Amino acid sequence: MTRVFPFSTFSRLLRGLVLVVAAAALPGCVSVAAYQKVYLNDEDMKLANKRVEVYETNFESYREGAGGANGGKVGGGCGCN
Amino acid sequence: MKNKYLFLLPGLGLLLPLNSLAQGGNTQNRVDGYGAPTTTEAARGAAGEAELNILMSYYQQDGTHGAVEGGRGTEHLTDLTPTIILNVPLDTVSRLSANLGMDVYASASTDRIDQVLSSPSSQDTRFHADFGYTRQLADRRTIVGLGAGFSTEYDYRSFNVAASWAKASRDGNRELSLAGQVFFDQATIIRPAELRVNGSREDGTSPRQSYNLSAVLSQVLTQRLQISVSTELVYQKGLLSTPFHRVYFQGSTGALGEAKVEALPGSRFKYPVGLRLSYYASDLLLVRGFYRFYNDDFGIQAHTLEVETPVKLTPFFVLYPFYRYHTQTAANYFAPYLQHRPSEQYYTSDYDLSGFSANKVGLGLRYSPVYGIGRFKTPFKGRIAQFKALDLRYAYYRRSTDLTANIFSADFSFILP
Repeated sequence: MTRVFPFSTFSRLLRGLVLVVAAAALPGCVSVAAYQKVYLNDEDMKLANKRVEVYETNFESYREGAGGANGGKVGGGCGCN
Repeated sequence: MKNKYLFLLPGLGLLLPLNSLAQGGNTQNRVDGYGAPTTTEAARGAAGEAELNILMSYYQQDGTHGAVEGGRGTEHLTDLTPTIILNVPLDTVSRLSANLGMDVYASASTDRIDQVLSSPSSQDTRFHADFGYTRQLADRRTIVGLGAGFSTEYDYRSFNVAASWAKASRDGNRELSLAGQVFFDQATIIRPAELRVNGSREDGTSPRQSYNLSAVLSQVLTQRLQISVSTELVYQKGLLSTPFHRVYFQGSTGALGEAKVEALPGSRFKYPVGLRLSYYASDLLLVRGFYRFYNDDFGIQAHTLEVETPVKLTPFFVLYPFYRYHTQTAANYFAPYLQHRPSEQYYTSDYDLSGFSANKVGLGLRYSPVYGIGRFKTPFKGRIAQFKALDLRYAYYRRSTDLTANIFSADFSFILP
């Protein structure tokens, strides 16, 4: 199996992710009131893909073996081969 | 309340294999197979207003490693996909959603099931419909949903059911959403012309089940920064190979009659994890990032990184260039044309399962004036509807295995009276 990404790099990314998530979950580190959310409520701040991106997500899940965890080949039919 | 979900973080961490890391398949943007919103945000709409979205895309790809011909044929494909999404409030706490659409596609590679060297493209149409119901509970912070849907095309039928639960913290700075979905599929067995057992083009059907479980935890970090971590576990069993994909083995010449049909294991477990970030850098510029690590028991590991930088030319007009990089290792069962050994139990020459890297670059624009783009009278008692927003997008995709693709997408949003 060809490793495209060095494991050591991956391991560093994993540790970074854990730190970020832990920081996000620390109680008291965040207190943003509703009236302070003018930026957070912006359409472009949503923590999700735009609706119009769904077609790209679908074709990526067809064309990449690592797809399927974001819609597409896991079910719901083929649509293209 | 803030601490309430802390105990779930180690649980999410345990779901990760020791040698792997993150992806985030947020399911709320699925066009099909998605009947129940998985976040409180997705289920929240303006009170009393029905929303209608008309989406469409045109997709075209080309390449030289078609799986139907054992990894050496054309991958030419076009796909046109109109879709309608309707979101209707039933009362102040519940909503119904409907998602109807079709894929009209032409595939040169599929046409070569019957004759390796034919040239015209095979055409088919897939129809899909999904319906969902969501309800906001009395605490106003919890939303539950149920959904079901189906799709059908010439050689494939699928039925799915879904359930979701999402809860926001009291201050709205944290949210946890969980969703489960089960697909029950039936694929018609179609082998290549020279490999048919009884001479018949179709040889019955074979089932496939997929079980999806997704979890997303989002958190506001500052007035300009928020992140989410997510996972979407997938377990599949049944027919996971495609019977009309040929595989040519070492020692064969590649002539008709010397191939086998693709063979893959009867189950597959995928465990991706992802991290998503949105940062309002300045009044003109935002940064959106997404990183995903993917792992499965086919032996594929992948990393995906996406960056998008929306630029607000005016408060209502946004340009957003984006870039995506993806790299993956090959499945244990992949080998190119004539590279498989006859002794192997599982084999495929489908380059979607090969090791490669891919780049995608593109540009989108969204126009969404606060009072809408325009208004027009509807046939329903002359009521006035609003053309609310327009989202257009183009992307160019290039894979290191000689595959290129172009896709145009559009989303027209309307508010109905």
